[in-house]
Amino acid sequence: MTGRDSGAAADADPATTRHPVAELDDVTKEYRSGGETIAALANVDFAVEPGEMVAVIGPSGSGKSTLLNVLGLLDVPTSGTVRLDGDDVTDYDDEARTMARRRTIGFVFQSFHLVPMLTAVENVLVPTMFVQGDQTPRARALLERMGLGDRLDHRPDQLSGGQRQRVAIARALVNEPRLLLADEPTGNLDRDTGRRILEEFERISTEAEVGVVAVTHDELVTEFTDRTVELVDGVIQ
Amino acid sequence: MDPLDFPALRMAWLNLQRNRLRTGLATLGIVIGVVAIAAIGITGTALQYGATQELGGLSNTVTVFPGEENEDGAITDSQVASIERVATGAVVVPRRTETLTVASRSERRQVTVQAMSRPAALYDAAEGTIPSPMRSGALLNAELAAELGVELGQTVSIGGRSYRIIAILDEPGGFGQGVSVVVPLDDIDGDGYDQVTVVAEDGEDAQRLAAEIPAELNQREEVVGTFTPADIQETVSGFFATLNAALLGVGSISLVVAGVSILNVMLMSVVERRAEIGVFRAVGIRRREVMRMIVAEAALLGVVGGAVGVVLSILIGYTVNGQLNGQPGLVFQPRNLEFLALGFGFAVVASTVSGLYPAWKASTANPVEVLRG
Repeated sequence: MTGRDSGAAADADPATTRHPVAELDDVTKEYRSGGETIAALANVDFAVEPGEMVAVIGPSGSGKSTLLNVLGLLDVPTSGTVRLDGDDVTDYDDEARTMARRRTIGFVFQSFHLVPMLTAVENVLVPTMFVQGDQTPRARALLERMGLGDRLDHRPDQLSGGQRQRVAIARALVNEPRLLLADEPTGNLDRDTGRRILEEFERISTEAEVGVVAVTHDELVTEFTDRTVELVDGVIQ
Repeated sequence: MDPLDFPALRMAWLNLQRNRLRTGLATLGIVIGVVAIAAIGITGTALQYGATQELGGLSNTVTVFPGEENEDGAITDSQVASIERVATGAVVVPRRTETLTVASRSERRQVTVQAMSRPAALYDAAEGTIPSPMRSGALLNAELAAELGVELGQTVSIGGRSYRIIAILDEPGGFGQGVSVVVPLDDIDGDGYDQVTVVAEDGEDAQRLAAEIPAELNQREEVVGTFTPADIQETVSGFFATLNAALLGVGSISLVVAGVSILNVMLMSVVERRAEIGVFRAVGIRRREVMRMIVAEAALLGVVGGAVGVVLSILIGYTVNGQLNGQPGLVFQPRNLEFLALGFGFAVVASTVSGLYPAWKASTANPVEVLRG
């Protein structure tokens, strides 16, 4: 098991100063389940450039969520290297990974996961809760740009699904991340709403030079992305 | 408006309002615990205060009585002189007692009559004045006077002789040290005295004299014994201290139980909010920040429950002191404030400690596990 050929992952060209926002280099993630070892990711090489929007598709259990979790520093690989903005973050401890997430990564989830008793603005401010400085103006501006200017002080149960997802996107953007990770962002939305959410992603990725990775079943997503990666049994096709 | 100025505290406050019934019940546990500690402590203080007041007037006296080896069964004049020598500066009151019939025109009672020349040193008059020395007349306590139906200035028959009542005593009748009737010393015949009462400076001085007088007089034989209510008072204080400690122990247990119920509530609430806490962790909230939020929640339960408990305890203490001692304001004496502080402090500490484990559990949950499903 010494697959250390450096052929495929050689896109870190020393000539260019632009690093990929996030990069997986020969990453394998194995789970132990009832004495068996299951490889959720097998020798995966993957990179997202700033301003690039990538869709990751594949059947259930193909390792899409694991890919997203490893990219988002929520999970550590069994082997291989994870880089964020050019830094090797593979061996970061929990604290360092949390701080890297706070600085660099925004998450959008399928079921929004807003805090029910907080207003839209307060939900957007959640990632900044323990950070010095008042980000309220930025939170309001983000929501206004998402077309939620008249919903700032509404609670999640007073918002529609599409509105909730837009609040969640604003929350993901409040810390000015370089990487936006979305897990089935349109999974709980109807087609029109989903389309508007994806347009939002597209705008963010081009305007703010944010790398966007969306894991999805929904082929609508692939219409908006620059690139689509298919994952089957933990292997990129 | 900056609602997230104290983020951990504000989140905690909002989280507690999610399930108000559950929060209310957990708080109720704390309230009961605080009341158990503070109200019981305050009641103990009130009881002790009452008991001390009862003994208070007599606790500085020493009674000297004939010892087991005293052949005469009486205290002689020379022994009284010795007592006076030991108890320098104290008032020494020799006395004789005899059971006699006391009668008014309509009623008669068999009572213990005390004969002494200086009753003013021992008793207070409710009506009339007590002359010192007393050479004639009689003193009756209010209770006996009422039973006989006589008043100040009237005449009663004591042991067949007529006495004018020159004062009504403001003294309790019972409890060993009580007194019903006092007549001049020479009106009861006898060699020596049945008792000598020494009035000391204070309880401590009384206890010292109660030890020194027999040491001086009982050179070869036990001719005198002593007794002082100061001993009783000390015993009573000790009893109340023990009682209070035991009750406080029970109160503390109820706060520990309340703490366990907070632990339970917080664990449930943390499990219910797993996904939300996972999102917090995903968006960059650190473990210790998650812990801070959950611990703040538990501590807040303790503070609210503690405050309500303190208010209730003051109300209870106010009523109890009013009923027992007629002085409701006694609830604010320093010792009671200590009990209130103890109850409140214990409530906050027990709640906070109970929040630690749920907080740790919440903060160490793997966000990946939490977000799945």
